[in-house]
Amino acid sequence: MYGWIWRTLPGGIPGKLLGCAVLLFATLVLLFLVVFPWAGPKLPFNHVTIDTTPSPGPTATAPAVPD
Amino acid sequence: MARGLGQLFITAGLVILLFVVYELWWTGFTTKRDQHRLITTLHQEWAHGVTIKDPPIGSAIALLRIPRFGPKYLFAIVEGTSTADLIKGPGHYPGTAMPGGLGNFAVAGHRTTYEHPFYSVNRLRSGDPIVLETAHRWLTYTVENIPGTDARYQEIVSPSDVSVTFPVPDQLDPAAAPTQRVLTFTSCNPRYSAAQRIVIHALLTDSQPKSAGLPAALDGYRIRGT
Repeated sequence: MYGWIWRTLPGGIPGKLLGCAVLLFATLVLLFLVVFPWAGPKLPFNHVTIDTTPSPGPTATAPAVPD
Repeated sequence: MARGLGQLFITAGLVILLFVVYELWWTGFTTKRDQHRLITTLHQEWAHGVTIKDPPIGSAIALLRIPRFGPKYLFAIVEGTSTADLIKGPGHYPGTAMPGGLGNFAVAGHRTTYEHPFYSVNRLRSGDPIVLETAHRWLTYTVENIPGTDARYQEIVSPSDVSVTFPVPDQLDPAAAPTQRVLTFTSCNPRYSAAQRIVIHALLTDSQPKSAGLPAALDGYRIRGT
């Protein structure tokens, strides 16, 4: 993959080096600004809230009235 | 073919390493920027006498200082506890009491990543002050067991134990009428895990107008606007 990129980039050695730098920078920007912010919260290790979903409402805990 | 596969694995490894750098370092950088903006906005609102009755989700509602963590420790508490809110800073559970209010002012915060405002909450001890700054008042809460309830000043609970945020904390009845002014912090426990939650309870012990100067707990602090 990297060999193919190197061969494909135009402009001799200076052009190839510049092309690599641009590609590397673009990849880092994509990872840090799009991919990682999306993936981070999906991982479980920094969940800090107490979930409110299983909370029984006042009605759920009220004792049943016998007929 | 084998060479291409090797390159793929090396690339994947580098991306994972970069992700660790992102989580541990970059998220702190973005949160610091958000905090700076929130604190500036809050100071502007206060300077212009703007008081917002029902703060919108994601906006700053009060400033938090904890002397045990040093005079540089300062965070704006935002309204809301969604992922997007907690990225900005510690977040107030909507529907729980407001700062200084009767009932339970409950706040969630990151213990790792995103500038980890609650990194050291496990170091808080009974008697430690937690100081909130609002538009007009200094509110000093003291970390302690909540009288008349089962709420200890530090608790390790299950992630679904919602009763710690009830108006009367650690009671089964979420509708029980509160008689005390409580503050509750929740964060993950242990660090880098989500298996449990660490909970800190504190009781309002002092409330004074800002015109009366700094509260005793902030002796030696230099604070903007005072």
